Amino acid sequence: MVFGGSLLLSLRAAQVDPRVLFAADARANVARFVRGMFPPDLSPAFLRFLAVPVVETIQISIAGTALAVLIGLPLGLLATSTLTWSGVLHERRRASARALGFVPYAGARALLSVFRSIPEFVWAFMFVRAVGLGPFPGVLALGFHTGGVLGKLFGEVLEDVGPRPLEALQAAGASRPAVLLDGIVPQAIPQFFAYALYRWEVNIRAAAVLGFVGAGGLGQRIHLAISLFLEHQLLTLILAVYLMVTLVDASSGWLRRRIV
Amino acid sequence: MTAPDGMIYELERLGKTFDGRDLALEDVSLTVGRGEQLAFVGPSGAGKTTLFRILNLTLRPTAGTLRVAGTDVAGVDGAALRDLRRRIGTVYQQHNLVGRLRVVHNVLAGYLGRWSTAKALLSLAQPQEVETAAAALARVGIAEKLYARTDTLSGGQQQRVAIACVLVQDPEVILGDEPVSSVDPSLAMSLVRLLTELCRTAGKTLLMNLHSVDRALAFFPRVVGVRQGRVAFDLPPDKVTSDLFGSLYEGAEPEDVPFILRDGGSPSSRVCRPIPGIG
Repeated sequence: MVFGGSLLLSLRAAQVDPRVLFAADARANVARFVRGMFPPDLSPAFLRFLAVPVVETIQISIAGTALAVLIGLPLGLLATSTLTWSGVLHERRRASARALGFVPYAGARALLSVFRSIPEFVWAFMFVRAVGLGPFPGVLALGFHTGGVLGKLFGEVLEDVGPRPLEALQAAGASRPAVLLDGIVPQAIPQFFAYALYRWEVNIRAAAVLGFVGAGGLGQRIHLAISLFLEHQLLTLILAVYLMVTLVDASSGWLRRRIV
Repeated sequence: MTAPDGMIYELERLGKTFDGRDLALEDVSLTVGRGEQLAFVGPSGAGKTTLFRILNLTLRPTAGTLRVAGTDVAGVDGAALRDLRRRIGTVYQQHNLVGRLRVVHNVLAGYLGRWSTAKALLSLAQPQEVETAAAALARVGIAEKLYARTDTLSGGQQQRVAIACVLVQDPEVILGDEPVSSVDPSLAMSLVRLLTELCRTAGKTLLMNLHSVDRALAFFPRVVGVRQGRVAFDLPPDKVTSDLFGSLYEGAEPEDVPFILRDGGSPSSRVCRPIPGIG
């Protein structure tokens, strides 16, 4: 009931009105816009020109996601309550030791939250001013933003891992790092992988758009096409993004089946 | 540090209260000599598992004293705690192995109390001291499963992997927390026999939580009844009367009361079959 109430309130506040969308003049505008984009600009010169930004966009998405894993993994480990202060691994510790473990946990969670809340765009804008134009700020932007997302997801996976193997390992005399290696990581890896691959799919779209602020990839061309009313080029660019997303989708699915 | 009189466990008025409200154990006093074999029986919720989790140093008692081989565990922490834990092996009822890992890794986990973290890390990539793992698996009759993924094994086979892991750990005491309750009843008897014989041969102390009363009476020279967090009796099997059992399980859910046939036997002892490869 509460959910239903919030949903209705939200729709109201956001001025959601399906009737406006489906009204005659709205439909006509959309139709005109879409029709105007056809046919896509498939001239060899343009396509040749696009090859570089397309490849660059894919590269940004891969490098950005890799950086995100590098950032998200250690922070995610710290942001796991069962590793830092609660649960069966800490049953025998004194309250003061557990309180000490809470500090890095809270710190990591806060940091991840900040990374997550700052939109990729804003990160990109900041990094462009730091390191200049091109794909590098795009990689950094994706790395930090997605790192915040992955870190949180990783922490949740680690917390949801089956506790009984951990208790068994600890009872046999394993140190906490050994319990992590032998008990927690093997259980968590498939889900880590799945999340990383999923974020890669999201990042290919994000990488395409970051060019708006000069952070490499197709974004700059998309921005130009919109600003200069180059509708046919815009359609080509949209098709290019669609193809890239499909490619990344298929690759990530293949990888997931092989590894998980 | 071994106590001169060979006591491996000394419990003095041990108690455990969870969160200040849930009284799981109260006033438990018990001594266990080296090499002894004890069975613990009693209804679910009586506190047997809590007792075992204290005995294998997973939980701290909230009252009383526990001495393991003469050492009071209250002050023990860090590396000394790890070392003490390594000397106590536990076989759980189920879900204590990492399913995604190959059997060899789950068996070699018995070494984690001795290996450095670096060696543990190395072993995940390249299993170390595989011969010991293979030998342990052979002793429990499933040598051929060394490189199988653990979650592809049956429940009974996984329990044997757990026993092999404890063999690798080579502790002085083995605790079995209802180790055969989730196993096919026809195999359960053989697993209990396997554990009691392994411990007898190696001179290890064995404590086992059992749901099945007939196995307790058949295999163990000392039976401890636990009810509502207290020790109800501590006797050799021939002194345990049906009245004692009756009062132990009084008020328990019907499913919880061990199944005893009219002639005093139990269904599982009729269908017992030997473990292939061991007999």
